[in-house]
Amino acid sequence: MTGRQPFSDLELIMRRHGARPAAPRALDAAATATLAEWDRQDAALAALYGPIAAEPLPATMRAALGRAAHEDAAPRAAWPPRARIAAAFVLVALGAAGGWGAARLLPSGGFAPPAAAFAAIRAHQTFVGEVTHPVEVKADQAEHLTRWLSKRLGHAINAPDFAAFGFVLMGGRILPAEPGTAAVFMYENATGQRITLYAAPGDGSSETAFRFVEAGATQGFWWVDSGLRYAVVGEVPREALRSLATAAWEQLT
Amino acid sequence: MTVLDEIEAAIPALRRYAQALLRDRAAADDLVQDCLERALARRAGWRGEGSVRGWMFRILVNLHHDGQRQRSRGPHLSVVGDDMAEFSRPGAQEGHMALREVQAAITRLPDDQRQALLLVALEGMSLVEAAAVLGLAEGTLASRLGRARASLRAATGRESAKAVRPRNEGTVQP
Repeated sequence: MTGRQPFSDLELIMRRHGARPAAPRALDAAATATLAEWDRQDAALAALYGPIAAEPLPATMRAALGRAAHEDAAPRAAWPPRARIAAAFVLVALGAAGGWGAARLLPSGGFAPPAAAFAAIRAHQTFVGEVTHPVEVKADQAEHLTRWLSKRLGHAINAPDFAAFGFVLMGGRILPAEPGTAAVFMYENATGQRITLYAAPGDGSSETAFRFVEAGATQGFWWVDSGLRYAVVGEVPREALRSLATAAWEQLT
Repeated sequence: MTVLDEIEAAIPALRRYAQALLRDRAAADDLVQDCLERALARRAGWRGEGSVRGWMFRILVNLHHDGQRQRSRGPHLSVVGDDMAEFSRPGAQEGHMALREVQAAITRLPDDQRQALLLVALEGMSLVEAAAVLGLAEGTLASRLGRARASLRAATGRESAKAVRPRNEGTVQP
């Protein structure tokens, strides 16, 4: 008689988690005890790991979702690359002529550079003078550098090539940003002059043309594109810096 | 809900699962980040078969298996989280399990049993859903789950419950 046959674990599992309705058969004491034991197992798992699901999402995940939402809202195909480049040149020219390219680090004329521009300048000033550890990962480990910085940034990024301007990649490092983690690439020319490219996850601000910031002798151009915030920073003449920023923008787009 | 909304809605469960699976917070979030980026990159090709959640779990499980294959080639360091001290308080109420014991027991399970247990017992999937995520037949999944539950019971000192009835060895096969 089936009623006397003890329930196997497998039978109880099918009964508890299976899609098909269980055969109408009364549970014996042992089966009831097993199911109660499994309830306690489930409760223990929920107590151990449940709280993680209630946490806010990490910044890198929010940034990836933000970029995707941005792409969905404005399909890039509608705005061909050549037109984008041309538009950027026009805006840079307007900026230089019209004065908003000359925005200072301190708010002026009702326009304040964003926190990322400050962060990029500070990062440059902190690391550019480093003799022993200017970068965390050197350029000779190019593949590792690219993979690591892309992973931490939450966005694929390749160091732009500035060889045409005499600047060679030294390597890169990561820095905390808000939100997320920023990647910094450092370059050096034959005279030992150094420039940095800063890239941080977007904070929801929309795309911009190049904008200029300066703090003492340190100058930078910053922009927002495809959900990332970028800046090229150095102690080089503004026109040279603008050319570098344009080259970076073309290669990163 | 758009696919993007559904992708976002699945992340908390993926983080919970990855954390329980890997027991290392940073590694778990790296795995979920990789899963998220793969899902986002492929979202345009999503045809609406099944649930977005199930699809993302499949991506995560595949990435996890890829990662295991890579790790198995080199020296393996197992990181067991030591940040669970808050769960070690003694005198857990009767009827509740000592969470630390459960955590240690899960850590000792073979990876395939741990995945079966976590998808069903933690994520609340049915056998059919969990089997689809892991690419297994339903019966295989059920027997892995049975072995995981039995190991957990033995490890948490509740083996005595079995004395109540004859044990059906052989009903839960590999």
